[in-house]
Amino acid sequence: MAITIFALVLLLYVVVGAFISRYVKNSDDFYTMGGRGSTILIVGTLAATYLSAATLLGIAGQSYKEGPLVIATLGSFGAWLGTLVAVVYMGRKMKALGCKTMPDFFDKRFNSKWVSIIAIIIMIVGLVGYGVIQFIGAGLVLSEITGINFQLLIVLFTIALIAFTAFGGMYGVVVTDTLMFFTMLTISIVIAPIIIGQAGFEQMKGLSETMPNYWTIGGTENRSIGWSISQFLVWIMFFACMPALVSRVFPAKNDFVILKAAIIGVFFAPFMQLTVFIAAGGMQVLQPGITPTDNAMIVGFMEFTPPAVAGVGLAALMASIMSTASTLFVLVGFALSRDLYERLFEKELNEKQSLTAARIGQIIVAVVICAIALARPSAIYWISIYAGSIFAVGWLPTIVASFEWKKMNSKAAMISMLSGVASFLLFGELIRAGVMTLPTGVDELMLALLVSVLSLIGAGLVTKPNAHELNYYTEMKRSSMASITIKEFLKQPNGLQKIKKQYKQLITVSVLFTFISVVVWGYFFIKLGL
Amino acid sequence: MNVEILILFINATLVTVISSVVVIAILRKQYLPIIKEMEKEENQEEYTESEEKRINSNL
Repeated sequence: MAITIFALVLLLYVVVGAFISRYVKNSDDFYTMGGRGSTILIVGTLAATYLSAATLLGIAGQSYKEGPLVIATLGSFGAWLGTLVAVVYMGRKMKALGCKTMPDFFDKRFNSKWVSIIAIIIMIVGLVGYGVIQFIGAGLVLSEITGINFQLLIVLFTIALIAFTAFGGMYGVVVTDTLMFFTMLTISIVIAPIIIGQAGFEQMKGLSETMPNYWTIGGTENRSIGWSISQFLVWIMFFACMPALVSRVFPAKNDFVILKAAIIGVFFAPFMQLTVFIAAGGMQVLQPGITPTDNAMIVGFMEFTPPAVAGVGLAALMASIMSTASTLFVLVGFALSRDLYERLFEKELNEKQSLTAARIGQIIVAVVICAIALARPSAIYWISIYAGSIFAVGWLPTIVASFEWKKMNSKAAMISMLSGVASFLLFGELIRAGVMTLPTGVDELMLALLVSVLSLIGAGLVTKPNAHELNYYTEMKRSSMASITIKEFLKQPNGLQKIKKQYKQLITVSVLFTFISVVVWGYFFIKLGL
Repeated sequence: MNVEILILFINATLVTVISSVVVIAILRKQYLPIIKEMEKEENQEEYTESEEKRINSNL
């Protein structure tokens, strides 16, 4: 029963993905769905991209073992705030500048081949390292549960992903992401309450007696507050410029959609995570001693929920893998076809050729990633140690300085990106080799970020921006999503009335979701904290 | 009362509050002045039209 539901949901994604391809008429549709993303689609793709398999497996396992507060209180809080920064600050600014991909921004801002090449390499290495390792890890877990051979499972996933990335592009990814978001939401609104209900809040609170510090920020391992703060800083910086999140803004219809998605998406980030982490605490009551702990939630929905619900749970786990993988496929494919082939190699392509190049890019990426996942070379595990954080040390200082500092130029960007990544790898390797030790609460990412920022400021002060960089900075300061949206609305009949209606809707959404979050988290606090 | 659990749920609520405050600040700073200006222009046009009608009817 569970396997049947799992297979049917996979088939549904493929059918929807293939169906969506009929709406992709040109490269603009392929890269940004023609700017037609509605609030529900942008919220869906943002939330689905945010919730990766790591939440349902690794972090849920850590919550089960050490206590639900260990990662959630500060680490996840950083990720939620980082998501807000990615949407409202990074994404909005880049969309206002007409960027269709994040490397577009580097290209427009500096008009320098070397800056673009370094930025694209950082993105490809970061996304592949971060995504493939989840693809492999979660694939192994799913293979174990379903009994489907791992290699066959990866090939099936790749074929399914090609169906909506190569044919549907961003359109296919956004629509299937939204379907996946609703599948994943069932874990929070159906499976987690079933597990918590069976465990009982009183029994969960009682875990502190048998497992000292289970309901503390330090957890059963007595982690220091410095460690928790370093988690907060690492996650907020990583999520703030994560291309997977920032690029969710580009397909949005207008600024009102982006702002609504910011409120609703940022509400669902803690909602989807905390319910899972609290349910993982419930699993410690229902079945202590699960090994590996990563399987805590899977044991939860396979053993403690009805078969139909367990099937949806498996489908949700698959959705969390596929939404991460589809974003990885689509963004790396875009980097190949648009950022490298069309822009850097200056290929003059007509609309049809551009769309064909984009689709070929997707298929190449899918085949390469499938091969990496099947071969599992040891190098991919090494890359994955650094991959996620590479955006924080490589991109974050350069992007922020590009937005805010008039003296920012291509030399400073190159030096900052290279020194940030190189020092991050160097510190990491020295620590792993035991040559270097850091005080508790200091992470190598913070040191590398400091190197990146200082080298950026130093290089920016001793070099000068060229005419293009100065002109673009002025142009950038003049452009905003608000003015673009107002102009678009005023072209329509009754434009002012429509703007006022959207304004009131946004105020209502703000108040409504603040109220919902007070009620939801207030309820959990009364049940667990008093 | 477990203060650390309180911190967790305050953070979870705070993130929605922060996003709402940021969005409302953007609306008030970037949209409200333009809406008010447009309304003023619209009212001015309506006033001018009604004045013209009144003068015409008097004539």
